[in-house]
Amino acid sequence: MALEQLSDVVQRCQAIQDDNYTTEDYSVFQIAGRTCIEDGESAQVLSIVVDEENKNIVRCMGWNLLGPLVQILLKKEENNLPHCLAILTHLLEVCSPKELLVGLLEQVEEAHSDSIAETVILLLQPLQKVLLRLGGRKASSVGMALSTLLGQVARLPVPQTKEQEEDDVFSLCRCCSALLVFVRPFVEEAKQSRTPKEDELRTELLKFSMKSLCEPLLEVQLKDPETLAESPLRNFATEIVGILSDIGESLPDLLSHSLLRRREVPGFLEEEVCYPKESLASLAYLLFVQHIAMDTFPTVFSSVFVLQCNMEYINLFLSRTEESRLQKGLDLYEKSLVRVEDNSLPVQLMELKSFFSVPQNLVKVMTLCPIQHLRIKGLKVLQLSIDKFDTEAKYKFFQCMLKTSHHAGVEGYIIKNIKNQIDFALNLDNGNEWFMGAHLFPLLRQVLCLPQGPETDLLQNLDRVMESLNLLRYLLIRDKAWKNQTGIWTELYKIEDYYMKPLRTGLNMSKAHYEAELQNTKDNSKKTNAKAESQTQESVCSLTVGNEKMPNMTPEMQLQVLHSALHTFDMMESVLARIEEIIEVKEKP
Amino acid sequence: MAAELTREWSDEQLKSDDLSKKDVIKFIQDNAAHSFLAEHKLMGNIKNVAKTAKKEQLIIAYNDLFESKRFLGSEPIEDVTEHVKNVKIDDKPKEVVEVVDEGPPKFFKSVLKKGDKTNFPKKGDNVSCWYTGSLEDGTVFDTNIPATARKKKQSKPLSFKVGLGRVIRGWDEGILTMSKGETAKLEIEPEWAYGKKGLPDSKIPPNAKLIFEVELVAVD
Repeated sequence: MALEQLSDVVQRCQAIQDDNYTTEDYSVFQIAGRTCIEDGESAQVLSIVVDEENKNIVRCMGWNLLGPLVQILLKKEENNLPHCLAILTHLLEVCSPKELLVGLLEQVEEAHSDSIAETVILLLQPLQKVLLRLGGRKASSVGMALSTLLGQVARLPVPQTKEQEEDDVFSLCRCCSALLVFVRPFVEEAKQSRTPKEDELRTELLKFSMKSLCEPLLEVQLKDPETLAESPLRNFATEIVGILSDIGESLPDLLSHSLLRRREVPGFLEEEVCYPKESLASLAYLLFVQHIAMDTFPTVFSSVFVLQCNMEYINLFLSRTEESRLQKGLDLYEKSLVRVEDNSLPVQLMELKSFFSVPQNLVKVMTLCPIQHLRIKGLKVLQLSIDKFDTEAKYKFFQCMLKTSHHAGVEGYIIKNIKNQIDFALNLDNGNEWFMGAHLFPLLRQVLCLPQGPETDLLQNLDRVMESLNLLRYLLIRDKAWKNQTGIWTELYKIEDYYMKPLRTGLNMSKAHYEAELQNTKDNSKKTNAKAESQTQESVCSLTVGNEKMPNMTPEMQLQVLHSALHTFDMMESVLARIEEIIEVKEKP
Repeated sequence: MAAELTREWSDEQLKSDDLSKKDVIKFIQDNAAHSFLAEHKLMGNIKNVAKTAKKEQLIIAYNDLFESKRFLGSEPIEDVTEHVKNVKIDDKPKEVVEVVDEGPPKFFKSVLKKGDKTNFPKKGDNVSCWYTGSLEDGTVFDTNIPATARKKKQSKPLSFKVGLGRVIRGWDEGILTMSKGETAKLEIEPEWAYGKKGLPDSKIPPNAKLIFEVELVAVD
C-alpha cells in the first residue's frame, strides 16, 4: 500500500518542472517512504531513490527519510541493513548538505537516552561527509554539529575506575575516540592557511576543544600509563590539547589568560565563550598534574610565574564543593608549589587576590569538607605553601590567618608554625627581623590573646590555647633571660597582664562551673535511681541529626563529658603553672 | 632630550578655551627642567596643578620656558633623576609580580650571529624567539624549531613579555642584551634557571645548568 503511494507520488512528480512540488507531495513522499522503510521494504525504496528519473525529487525530498532510516539502522536488523545503508549513502551524496545537516543533527539531539552512543557513532561519518561538502562555508555548521554531538556525549556516564574504562559499558570512550576521527579533517583544514575564512573554523574548533576540556574531561580521572597502558580517555585528552596547538593557540598564553586578561576587551562576551575559565582550569590540571602534552609546553617559563597563573584555577577548583573539583584543586596547588624552592616566594605575592582567596578556601576544605582524605590533603598543601613563602611573606601570612580563619584548630596550627619559625630564627647566627625583635611582638600579641577575655570558652579554643601556652613556654625556656634574643623577657610583664592573668581567671571560673555541673549530675542521677526506672528525664533541648532524633545522653555519658572537660582544664593549668614556675625561677636574683 | 624644542602654540592659541590647562601643564611637565617646575609651582599631579594654577600663569610659564630654554636635560643629571622620581607611578592593582633579587650575573652569552645592534628589547616588550635548550651533557630537552622547513612556516616562534619574571631569569636578563636578529648561546647557571628543584616529573634534573641557543626574531 505504502509502496504504491510512494511510486505514485514519485511518478507524478517526475513531470513537475523546476522543483515546484507541493506541500502535499512532500508529505506523501515522507509518510509513504517512512512506512515502507519501517515495513522492511527498503530494497524497493532503494531502487526508487537511485532511479535517475527521480533525481530531482530525491534531491529535494530525500532528507526527510533520514529519521526512519536512522531508526532502522539503529535496530541493526540484518535484512534491512545493506539497503538502508545504501539509501543513506545515496542521500548523503545528492541531497542539500544544509538540509541533511539539519536532519542528521535532529536525529542526534532526539536520540533516546539508551541509544545516545549508538546514534552518535552511527552518524559521525555521515555528518562528516555532509560537512565536507559544504566547502568554504562550513565553519558555523561544523560548530553547530560539534556542539550538538558533544552535548549528547556529555550525558554519558564517565568511567571512574580502570576497569570501568576498559569495559566502557556506556561507550563514552568509543564516542570520544570516534569524535577525534570526526574532527580531524577540519583541524587539518584549519591548520593549513591563515585566511579569515579559516579563522572562523579555528574559532569553532577552539570552542569545541574548550567545551571538551569541561565535559567530559573535568569529570575524568585519568589513569597513568603504568596503571592503564591503553587509555582512550588519556588519548582523548592528549588529542584535544593537540588540537589547541594545531589551531594556533599557544599553551602558555592560554594558561596565563586568566591572570593577564585585560578588562574591557571589545567583544568581551566572546572571550568568555572562547576561553572559559573552567576549561582553562581543566587544561592546567591536565598539563601540570597529569602531564598530558607537557612535552609541548616550553621549558622556559619561571616556576613562580606558572604558580601565579595556576592560582586562578586553583581558586576556581577550591571554591567548589564536589570531591572531584576539590581533589583537582589540591593536586594542582601541590604540583605548582613543588616546583618552587623553599623560602623563595616574596611578600609581594600576598598582594595578589588569588594568594589571599586560595588559603581562605583551603581553610574551608580543612575545616568543613566532609571527606576526610581531602581535609588531610588540604592541611598538607597548606603547610607546603607556608614552606615556600620567604620569611616576610610567612609573617604576613600568619597574621592574616590568625585574623581571618576563625577556627581554633587552624589558629593552633598556625601558632605551631610561628613557634617553628622563631626556633629557626634563634638557631641562625643573624636571626631574622620578622620572628625576632621588633616585629615579633605585634605577632605575639595576636597569638597570645583571649578573644572574650576571662570569659573565653576555653574548651572551644582548646587547640589555640594549648599551642599558645606551648609557644610561651618554649620562648621562656629557649631564650635565656640574660640573652633575651627575642625580647620576650622585656615584654613579659605585659603578657602576664593581658594574657596570663585573664587565662588564670578563666580557668578558675571554668573549673568551678564544671565541678558544679558534675556534682549536680551525680546528685540528679542518684535521685532518678531512687525514683521509678521508667521515668525519663526531660532535657532542656533535643538534637536531631539526619531526621533522627538523637537519644538523650545517659547519666554515665554526661559524667564522662564533664570529667573530660575538667581534665582539659587541668592540662592547660599544668602548662600555665610551669610557665609561672619558669618566670619565678628566672626572676630570683 | 634635545634642547631644540619648538613652540607648538601661538599666544592666541594659548589664550583660547580650546586649549585646556591640563594640556599646557602636561607639555611643561614633560619638557621643563625640574627646577623650572619647582619655581613655577607646576610639579605633581596634573589635576591638582590645574586646580591651583590659573591659565594666565600657565601662559606666562610657557613663554618663560622658551625664553629661558630651561628644558629637561639642560640641567645636571641629579635634576633628571629628581624629575623621574616625581613622575607618578601607575598604581593599578598588580596582576603579576616580578621576582627580583641581587647578585652577580649567572649566565654567559656568546653571540653566534650578530643582530641589527639597534633594536634592543626593553623590560615589558613583547619578544619572539626560536630556541633550542639542552643540558650540559648535550641532551636536548626542548625546542620550538620544527623538524622540517615546511613546518617552520606553519609554526610560530615563542612570544612573551621580557623582563617581567615570566621566564627563567637567565632568559630575562640574557634576551635584554640581545638585538633583533641576533642568535646567541646562553649558558645559564641553575640559580637563574630551575635551581635546586629542577622540574620534578620532567626533563630538568636538580641543579642543572641549561644551555639555550636563542634567535631573537622580533621585538615589539
